[in-house]
Amino acid sequence: MIAVVGGRIAAQAASPAPGTPGYKAPLITDTAGLQGPRQPIFFRHDIHAGQDRIPCMYCHNTVAVSTEPGMPALRTCFGCHQIISGSTPSHQAEIAKVRKAWSDRKAPEWIRVYWLPGYVHFPHMRHIKVLGTGPESCANCHGAVNGTTQISQVPTLKMGWCISCHIARSVSRDCSVCHY
Amino acid sequence: MSDGMDRRRFLKVLGVAGGGAAALSGCGIGPEPTEKLIPYVIPPEDQTPGLATWYSSTCRECGAGCGLHVKVREGRAIKLEGNPDSPVNHGRLCARGQAGLQGLYNPDRVTGPMQRSASGTLEATTWDKAIATLQEKVAAARGKGFVFITGVETGSFGELVDEWMQQVGGRHVTYEPFAFEALREGNRLAFGDGAIPTYDFAAAGYIMSFGADFMETWLSPVGFQNAFTQAHSFASGQNASMAKFVFVGPRLPQTGLIADEWININPGTEGMLALAMAQVIVSKRLGNVPADAARLGLPAAGDVAKTIGVDLAVIERLATEFTRTSAPLAVAGGMAAHYPNGGQIVAAVNVLNYVAGAVGKTVKFGGDLAQGSAGKHADMATLTTEMAGGGVALVLVHGANPVHTLGGAFAQAWSKAGFRVSFSPYLDESAAGADLVLPDLHPLEQWNDSRPRAGVYALQQPVMLPVFDGTKQTGDVLLQLSGKSGTFKTYLQGKWAALQKRIGGKGAFEDWWDGALQHGGIYGDAPSRPVRLSAGVVAGMSTSSEPASNAMAVVFPHPALHDGRGANKPWLQELPDPVSKITWHGWVEVHPETAAKWDVTNGDYLLVKSAHGAVSAPVWITPSIRPGVVALPTGQGHKAYGRYAKDRSFNAFDLLPAEPNAYGGRTHVVGVAVTKTAEHRKLATSEGSSREHGAQVVTVLPLNEARGLKVGELDEEEIPEYARDAERGWAEAQHEKAFLGNYAGEHPRWAMAIDLSKCTGCSACVTACYAENNLATVGEELVVRRREMAWMRIERYWRGDAASPSGAAVTPMLCQQCGSAPCEPVCPVFAAYHTPDGLNGQVYNRCVGTRYCSNNCPYKVRFFNWFNYAERGGEFEAWPEPLSWLLNPDVTVREKGVMEKCTFCVQRIRSTQHKARIEDRQVQDGEIVPACAQTCPSEAIVFGDLNNPASKVHALSNDPRGYHVLARLNTKPGITYLARVVAGGEA
Repeated sequence: MIAVVGGRIAAQAASPAPGTPGYKAPLITDTAGLQGPRQPIFFRHDIHAGQDRIPCMYCHNTVAVSTEPGMPALRTCFGCHQIISGSTPSHQAEIAKVRKAWSDRKAPEWIRVYWLPGYVHFPHMRHIKVLGTGPESCANCHGAVNGTTQISQVPTLKMGWCISCHIARSVSRDCSVCHY
Repeated sequence: MSDGMDRRRFLKVLGVAGGGAAALSGCGIGPEPTEKLIPYVIPPEDQTPGLATWYSSTCRECGAGCGLHVKVREGRAIKLEGNPDSPVNHGRLCARGQAGLQGLYNPDRVTGPMQRSASGTLEATTWDKAIATLQEKVAAARGKGFVFITGVETGSFGELVDEWMQQVGGRHVTYEPFAFEALREGNRLAFGDGAIPTYDFAAAGYIMSFGADFMETWLSPVGFQNAFTQAHSFASGQNASMAKFVFVGPRLPQTGLIADEWININPGTEGMLALAMAQVIVSKRLGNVPADAARLGLPAAGDVAKTIGVDLAVIERLATEFTRTSAPLAVAGGMAAHYPNGGQIVAAVNVLNYVAGAVGKTVKFGGDLAQGSAGKHADMATLTTEMAGGGVALVLVHGANPVHTLGGAFAQAWSKAGFRVSFSPYLDESAAGADLVLPDLHPLEQWNDSRPRAGVYALQQPVMLPVFDGTKQTGDVLLQLSGKSGTFKTYLQGKWAALQKRIGGKGAFEDWWDGALQHGGIYGDAPSRPVRLSAGVVAGMSTSSEPASNAMAVVFPHPALHDGRGANKPWLQELPDPVSKITWHGWVEVHPETAAKWDVTNGDYLLVKSAHGAVSAPVWITPSIRPGVVALPTGQGHKAYGRYAKDRSFNAFDLLPAEPNAYGGRTHVVGVAVTKTAEHRKLATSEGSSREHGAQVVTVLPLNEARGLKVGELDEEEIPEYARDAERGWAEAQHEKAFLGNYAGEHPRWAMAIDLSKCTGCSACVTACYAENNLATVGEELVVRRREMAWMRIERYWRGDAASPSGAAVTPMLCQQCGSAPCEPVCPVFAAYHTPDGLNGQVYNRCVGTRYCSNNCPYKVRFFNWFNYAERGGEFEAWPEPLSWLLNPDVTVREKGVMEKCTFCVQRIRSTQHKARIEDRQVQDGEIVPACAQTCPSEAIVFGDLNNPASKVHALSNDPRGYHVLARLNTKPGITYLARVVAGGEA
C-alpha cells in the first residue's frame, strides 16, 4: 500500500499488528466469506479489541475469577455506544441495534461459538492465572481474536487439542481435573 | 459431537436394527442444538456467573427455625446449608431442611390465584378479582364466624394476622398436628408453667428419653442432635466419659438407634417408670435430692415393676446411673406424650428430672421454645363443631393442611363453612376443597421472620425472584385487605425497628438491619426463669389403663414426611426411612412373634381398625417393636397435593380420634383390631438384610474396652500367605504408575473419617448428597427392582439377640475410594480409574455401561443409570420443570447407560483448589467440605488430606478405634470408620 505523507511517496511500511497502536481494522465489504455464525448484532472484535485496543477483560470481566468468562452486559456496550454512533452507515446501523436493545431492555441473543459438552468443567480462571490476562493469552485458545472480524471456532476444541497443550506445558492430564 | 460416527454412537447403533439415520434421532443423540448466550442487560451487583452468592435465611420446614445459608447460582437457589451463626442448628441441616428446594421448585405449585367457578372447578383468576372477592366475603362475615387457621407463627406474619383479625372481627387459630400439648400440660402440672423449656443435651452426663424422638421431629431435632452428640460421642485418648443414652418405649424410633440401652416398656407405663426411678432416688438419697422431694409421696418402685414390664433391679440400676452425674437429663415426648394420659407421663418425667437435680441445669426455662405457643388440638375440635353447625361463614387456611391431618369430621365440617380460602402454594387437600386459592410465595422467596425460641430473632429474606410471577406473598395480601400501605417488607422492617430499640441495637437502623440480615437474625439469650415443683403433682396422677384389644397401634410422625407436608417432595419419598429403610410407602411395624401369630410376612396387608377409622397397611416385620404393639407412620395417604403424594399408601391419621383428650391434645396410641387381608405388595426397601451375616460391617465396642484401646488393636484380618505377593505387587504397580510423567510430585490423598459413635442414622447426609450431586429419584417401581441411585446409604443392623435386640448399629456406606479398588481393573474403557490425588474417579463420558465395575464392587456402592432420568417428558423423568432448576451446574447430569457413585464431592475439591490457586495459597485443612460432612448434625464425617500429617482426617485415621470395612478384601479404602462405642450393657 502506498502511503502519501506530506507530498512525498513513503516507502511501503509493514502494517501494525492488531492490538498495537496504528492498527486500523479493514473495511469489510463482503461478509459472505467470513467464518462463523452471523450474530444478531455484527460485533467486530478487530475494531474493538484490535483498533480501539479495549482489553479483553473490559468486557469478559469474570474470566480471571470464574469458570465463566462472562458475556458483557448490554450496559457495557451502551456505556460507549450511547455516545459513539459509528463512522459509516453500516456501523451506524449495527450500533442503532445496540441502542434499541438498551431502550427495549432486551439483551441480544448471541449465538454461542465456543462450546464444550456438559461433562467438561473447564475453569477459565485457572488458565488465565497461568497464561496471563493480555490478548496473547486468550489467543492461545481463541486465535487472534483482536484481528478477527467475525468470531468462529478456531481450534477443534477436541480433547486431544487440550491434552497436547497440557503435555507441552507439563500440566496435569488427570481425567478428574475436568471430567466430573 | 458434530462429526460422524463416534464410539458411543457406534455402540448405540449396533443395538438398533438397521442402524439407519432414522433410528439415531430416536435415541436422542446427534448434533447438539444451537446454544444462545444471553447476557444481563444490567448486571446485578453481587452476582458473578460461575460463582455462587450466599444468603442467610431461615428454614420453615418445621417449627425449629434453623438458620440457613442458601447457595444461589445465576439467580437460582441450588443448595441449602445450615447457618453456622444460628444457635439453633450451628450450621447443620436435616433431610427435611435440605429438601426445602423441592418445595420451592415443586412442579405442582399453584402458579396463580384460582377461584371456584359456578360449575364447581377451580379456575384461574386475577389477583384483583380474587382480592376483591375476599374483601367482600370478609365484610359479609363480620359477626357470622370468621376464622383464620395458620401454622405456628412466632414472628411478624403472626402479628399481622392478629392485627387484621382484630380489625375485621375474626379469630386466629394456630394449628400444628404435632403441637406438644402433653409437654405443655406436663410442665404446667409439674411446675405451674405451661411453656416448653430448652433442653441442654450438650451439658448432660446421662440422657434418658421417654419416647421423645428428639433427633427426628421433637421440637428442635438438628440442634438437639448436635448437642446430644457432644455429650454422647466418645472422645478417644482422653479420660473418655460418654453420656449414656437410654431410650424408653415400646418401639425403637430413629432417635433410639444410637441408644446404648433400650428399655422395651409396656406402652403407657413410661410415667410409672419415671416415678419409680424417682422413688428409688429419693429413698436411697442418690445424687443431690432437693429438700422438698421427700414430701412428694412417690409410689414404691417394687409395686410397679410388674406393670411396666421392667425388673426392679433394672429400675434401681437406672436410678443409680441417672444420678451418678450431676447433670442428668430426661426428656419425654413422642409416643410417650401421645397416650390419653400423656400430660401426666410428662409430669412424671419432670418429677424425675427434679429429684435428680436436672431442673435449672439441663432443663432450663427462660429460653423457651416457640412451639409451645401453637394452638392445641382441642382448639381445632371446637372449630370443627362450630363449622359443622354452620357457625363459620368464612375460613382461611395458611401453612396448615387440616383436611389431611384431621380427617373425616373436620373434612365434613369444612365443607359446611360458608366460604373457604387457602393460601397454600400447593393444591393440598385443604386447598383443593377451597373456594378461593391465593398462592403464597415459598419461604425462600419472601421476607419474613420468626422467633424459634426466646432471645432468638430469625430473619428470612428472598434469595431469588419468585419462580412463578403469579404468586403473591400472603403478607402483602393481608396488608392490602386491611387497607395498610406498603409491602410486607416495610411492615417487617417496622417491627424490627421497634425491636432494635427494645433490645438496644447499636447504630443506624439500616446498618443494624444489614448486619442482622447477613447473620440470619439476632441471636441472644433469654434470662433463665427458676421453677418450683408443684407439691401435689404426684398425688394427681392416675395409673395408665389401656383398653384391651388385640393390639395397640402407635401412630408416629414419619421423620421425613412428618405430618404430610413432605409427601410431594421426591427426595423425601425416596429417602429410606432410617429405621425401616422403606421408601415411597407407609408400613405397619409388627414384631416377629406377632407376625407369626397373625401368619403374615413382609408386604402382606393388614387391615388395622380403630374406633375412629381403618387403614390397610403392608407389614414390616421388625424386632424393634414390642409384641402386641404395631406402629404406623404418618405422612402418606394424600388425596391431593401433587403427583408424588396423591393416592399413595394410607393416611395413618385416619386411625386417630377427632375428640381431644384430657390435656387438649390428640391421642396417637389407640387400641386396634387387626385382620389379615389377601393383598400383598413388594416393599420398596433399600435394605438387603438387617443382620450382618458375619460381614462385620460395623464394629461396636463396649465403653470399657474402647477406653483402653491402643492403635492397631482392632484387628484387621491378616492377608493370607498366598496372596501377599499379589497384594504387594498390585498396589505398588498402581502407585508407581501414578508417579509417571506429570503425576509425579506431591499430591493430596483425599480421605474421610466417619465416627460411628456420632452417627445417629438420621440420613440428612443422604438428602444433602441428592441435592449437591444431581442424583435422580427413580420412583417406587424402580426401587422395588433395586435400581436405586442413592450414592450414600445408612445401613442399620440390630445388636444383640435377633428376637429382642439391645439396640441398633448404623453405618453410612458410600464409595470407599479404595486405594486398591476392585472396580478399576475391570473397566474396559478406563472410565473407572485411580486419580493421582487418591480418588476413585468415574469419567461419565467414557463409561459405556458394561456394569462390570458395580459387579466387582464389594461394598455395592456403584449405581447405574438404567433409564434416562433427565429426559423431558420421559417415563422416569426425575426433574419435571421447574424441579430441574435445583440442579447443580458444577456437576454433570448423567444420562442413561452411565455408572455413577460418590466422588467425595470432587466438584467441591476442584473448586476449592481453583480458588486457592488463584489466591496463590495452599488449600487449608477443613476448607473442602463434602455435602454430607457439611450437613451432618452430629459432625460425624471429617474430610481432608491424608498425606497432610497435620490434618484432622490424618489424626482420626490413626485413632485406636479406626477400622476399615471389609478390610480382609485388601481394598485399602480411603474411609476410616471409628468404631461405635456403647456405654454399659452389651455391645
